[in-house]
Amino acid sequence: MLKKFILLIFISLGLGIFTKHIGLNSQQALAISIFSASILGTLFFWDFRVAISFLGVAILLVTKTIDLENLIRFASLEVILFLVGMMVLVGLLREVGLFAWLVTLILRVRKLTAKKFILVISVISALLSCCVDEVTSIIFMVAAILEICDYFEVEATPYVIISIIMTNIGSMGTVLGNPIGILIATKSGLTFEDFILKAFPIMWICLLTAIFLVIFWYRKAIKKLDEKIRELGANEMLIKLISVPPERQLKLGLGIFGVTLFFISLHHRLELLWKLETNTLLLSVPLISSGLVMIWKWRRARDYIVKDVDWWTLLFFLLLFAKAGTLKYTGATDVLAQKISFLVRGNPSILTSVILWISAAGSSVLDNVVLVAAFIPIVQSLKELGFVLQPLWWALLFGGCLGGNVTLVGSTANIVALGILEKEKNIRMTFFSWFWIGLTVGLITTAVVWLALLLLPFYR
Amino acid sequence: MKVKEIMVKDVASISPETGADEALVLLEKMQISGLPVIDENSKLVGMFTEKDILSYILPSYIEKVGRFIYEENPKSTKKKFMELNKIKVRQLMRKDVVTTTEETTLCEAARIMLTQKARRIPVIDKSGRVVGIVARCDILKAFAKETGKPIS
Repeated sequence: MLKKFILLIFISLGLGIFTKHIGLNSQQALAISIFSASILGTLFFWDFRVAISFLGVAILLVTKTIDLENLIRFASLEVILFLVGMMVLVGLLREVGLFAWLVTLILRVRKLTAKKFILVISVISALLSCCVDEVTSIIFMVAAILEICDYFEVEATPYVIISIIMTNIGSMGTVLGNPIGILIATKSGLTFEDFILKAFPIMWICLLTAIFLVIFWYRKAIKKLDEKIRELGANEMLIKLISVPPERQLKLGLGIFGVTLFFISLHHRLELLWKLETNTLLLSVPLISSGLVMIWKWRRARDYIVKDVDWWTLLFFLLLFAKAGTLKYTGATDVLAQKISFLVRGNPSILTSVILWISAAGSSVLDNVVLVAAFIPIVQSLKELGFVLQPLWWALLFGGCLGGNVTLVGSTANIVALGILEKEKNIRMTFFSWFWIGLTVGLITTAVVWLALLLLPFYR
Repeated sequence: MKVKEIMVKDVASISPETGADEALVLLEKMQISGLPVIDENSKLVGMFTEKDILSYILPSYIEKVGRFIYEENPKSTKKKFMELNKIKVRQLMRKDVVTTTEETTLCEAARIMLTQKARRIPVIDKSGRVVGIVARCDILKAFAKETGKPIS
């Protein structure tokens, strides 16, 4: 603990001194120092991340590195409100039993084979994480996988790993899949339609690539599951056990969510039609839906806000965005952007590659929101140097999501799912039992995206 | 009125090393939902209740999933129940126990029960030894007696 603390102080002070030495002014160096301290703080002392954020923001204010007005501006309340709205909606969906119903879809697959099972869990993991968020999605998928593996008496670990990998890949498909999606959308002006056109198809390509890889990787486990399926006679028994009648509430919940998705997907066209500012509807639709939900279920409204909204994480995000904004406010990121531009000799392809691989490597050990929040002001500063930003935003999104597969702490979905596996099955995964498959999938899918970003004019 | 006036002094307890299945039988026999767990030095180390067994048997993710999807109990639940004999009380008990002292007033003890959602709270002395236990019904009976309308 003490060693980590000393290391944190040493590195963040060192970075401050180093950046001052290469030409940044005192305030810029202080902003970088505090931001790096909070990044390292989240890495070393995960449970203290909110406390560290409180202290960091207070220091930035007291040292006049940023003023109150700008701190509030950079805190990106719009992103936080969007996430609150979505969390309330997910709370409703959970309550009306939508997810249980989705899980039964997997269980109802007729003439189950191991490959069919992998295909179904992969596609549902990815699509679910596209529509809701990766953490909610993975909990439901792991629950379903554990039940099925229990029934067939096979080890659940390979299938849980497969589901996690596909969840992380799926989270890059839309604005809703990952907090970095909405963060990038609001800062870049990219719309839901842009995501559907440019992120969703490449998500499918990565997904199919990963499915081939895991089918090869886990061929022994597949053989065993096939034997067990033959022995125990497919999942007929399991189907009989399911009882989720499509109740009125479930239909209503499904309806509300469907309408929300519909309006979110059309937000850009409606904004143009009604002459609204970009992304106004994208951010308002979840608020309208969750507002209506809280009128419909007014007795539960307080519970939706208090219990279903993860305030701990949202507060961490809010303060993180404020701290990252300080980098922009002090002009530190402008200087960093110039240095980066010089290093890549002004070449946009090299710059895109660098951002993609750094964000993939970084998010394999760090929370990807931390990484993306740090990169956003740098990317914004690159605009003033004449770079086209679109490929950079995509590189940041794809790298941030795909990098999560590399290590077992790469994304929140990994941590949540492996936590359940440990608690339920007493299986504690070691770093390297995850690392090789994670690294293989991470490297290959990032390489696929890399080629697409460099070769397809579509992304420029 | 103070807790010491109404607490039950002869406290039934279990050891942390007792098997979970054995403890369940004991709860059933005594017709109560929970017992304090006391170590060899008579110090309170936890509270073991039926709730702890239930939350062990049910999948840990069930709260987050929303509801069960099966008509019959899943295999894992049955398996975990069968394995109760391999589990010790210390592995399932709640270690963060709400306690009170002999000098606490009844209203304060009742407030603790309500806010901490505890049915019964162990009474401990300064050294952490259990000297009694007080349940919701003991407090209600005392209140009733005070108003001159005893329940039993």
